[in-house]
Amino acid sequence: MEETIIPKTSTVLAALLRADFTTLWRNRRAVVMVFLVPIVILVSWKDLVAKMGAAFALSNSLTYGLIAIGLMGYTNSIARDRDKGIFQRLRVAPAPNWTIMMSRIFVQLSMIALVTTAIFVVGYDYDKITLTPAGYALTYLTAIVGGAVYLALGQVIVGLIKNPETVNSTSRLVYFTFVIVGMFGGMGMLGKQVEQITQWSPYGTVKTIMAAGMVPGSWTMDTTNALLVTLGYTIVFAVIGIKNFKWNTK
Amino acid sequence: MDNNQSESILKVTDLCVQYGTFKAVKEVSFDVRKGEIFGLLGPNGAGKTSTLSAIEGLIKYQSGTVIVDGHNAKEKPLYARAAMGVQLQSTSFQSELKVSEILQLFAGIYGVKLTNEKLTAILKDISLEDAAGKRFGQLSGGQQQRVSLVISTIHNPRLVLLDEPTTGLDPQSRRQLWERIEAIRERGHAVVLTTHSMEEAESVCDRIGIIDHGKVITIDTPQALIEKHKNDPEVIAVSRKGRVTLEDVFIALTGKEVRA
Repeated sequence: MEETIIPKTSTVLAALLRADFTTLWRNRRAVVMVFLVPIVILVSWKDLVAKMGAAFALSNSLTYGLIAIGLMGYTNSIARDRDKGIFQRLRVAPAPNWTIMMSRIFVQLSMIALVTTAIFVVGYDYDKITLTPAGYALTYLTAIVGGAVYLALGQVIVGLIKNPETVNSTSRLVYFTFVIVGMFGGMGMLGKQVEQITQWSPYGTVKTIMAAGMVPGSWTMDTTNALLVTLGYTIVFAVIGIKNFKWNTK
Repeated sequence: MDNNQSESILKVTDLCVQYGTFKAVKEVSFDVRKGEIFGLLGPNGAGKTSTLSAIEGLIKYQSGTVIVDGHNAKEKPLYARAAMGVQLQSTSFQSELKVSEILQLFAGIYGVKLTNEKLTAILKDISLEDAAGKRFGQLSGGQQQRVSLVISTIHNPRLVLLDEPTTGLDPQSRRQLWERIEAIRERGHAVVLTTHSMEEAESVCDRIGIIDHGKVITIDTPQALIEKHKNDPEVIAVSRKGRVTLEDVFIALTGKEVRA
């Protein structure tokens, strides 16, 4: 009997990553939207930078970028590929299931790093915002932690909804709810109660940890609590999303 | 059948698949030998795809065993999957990827080193040397099937599972695909295919298993099946061409009613 050879996990992951990054590159027009919204917000809030501080403007813009990546990018690509049967084709190959998802998540984490960099560049170029080296490093870390909560929320949507069109409309609805309620609620325009809810919602906690990450000296007990709540949201969303996820739509 | 064919590449024993309370596959047993094309036939909803999906590892089976090239599919799923090549009923690849990139992707997943020369040779072999830069969605149905088949055999597997591979193909493409399937057999590998085409089963398959309501009704060579049932009153009653065909036997065994 001939010996059956199992490919190395690193080889499998490399092949998946190359394909997923190529797919992302070919979809670059759609990716522009992910960059556009936070950049437009950052540019249009130029006057607020002086009033509310650079960290406020940057953290808000970045949060919108992270929400877009998690809810629109990740969720829709998973829903579409699942509906087309792409995952099933991969699953009949000797690729462990986790490598298929890990590759997708790694692509999104790279997007988070890119959006964060773009925000830094635009913030510097347009508003002359600079951070300390520790501030930049910590912001990348908090962006990854913050991005994870939206990826997990996206996982909940694809876990509970099978139809890709419904996933698309639901993720857009959730996205705009986060943007509108986050923007106006966070500023107290929708009342004190909504402001408090917003503060401890995934939008608010992510914004809090990112703002503190930009100015590490401003990290307080409230920021630590926000970080813990963010991690809690991520775990709860991920468990619900993964538990309910089906690899095919039939 | 020569001695070469006595070695079992796939052995399915008492396989049971259940969706909720519905039993889709009930104690199905069969084996597929080296250098054999085995056809799995059955009406819609008979349990063909569920059986294949269980072998492929896409669905969990409640009981029974699946041994692929000596590897228990439940205990060593990656080994079992590495030993088989699969073409699903509706294959799709990322529409943004070009044909060459799809081949590179699956070569990587199966741990096959694909040099440019090898890639060119593969594409030439399936008459798609000019399509390397095309996206999968831009290919015709026949071309897509050829790409899909070549991907399922890119790692030279001992077992190839093909779920309705010729559905929607024109006669020329179908004949060409049959030749490719027969070429797999000539290399000493085993093939399991599901089909609704009795002509295909009769022309290509060495043995066929007819499955209905989740159970295997019979397994034999097409000729032996016809011979065995040609005088059955049910078969004669459904015969339309003055001679008994495999389709007549199939309809007599599985019933005339149309399945959803």
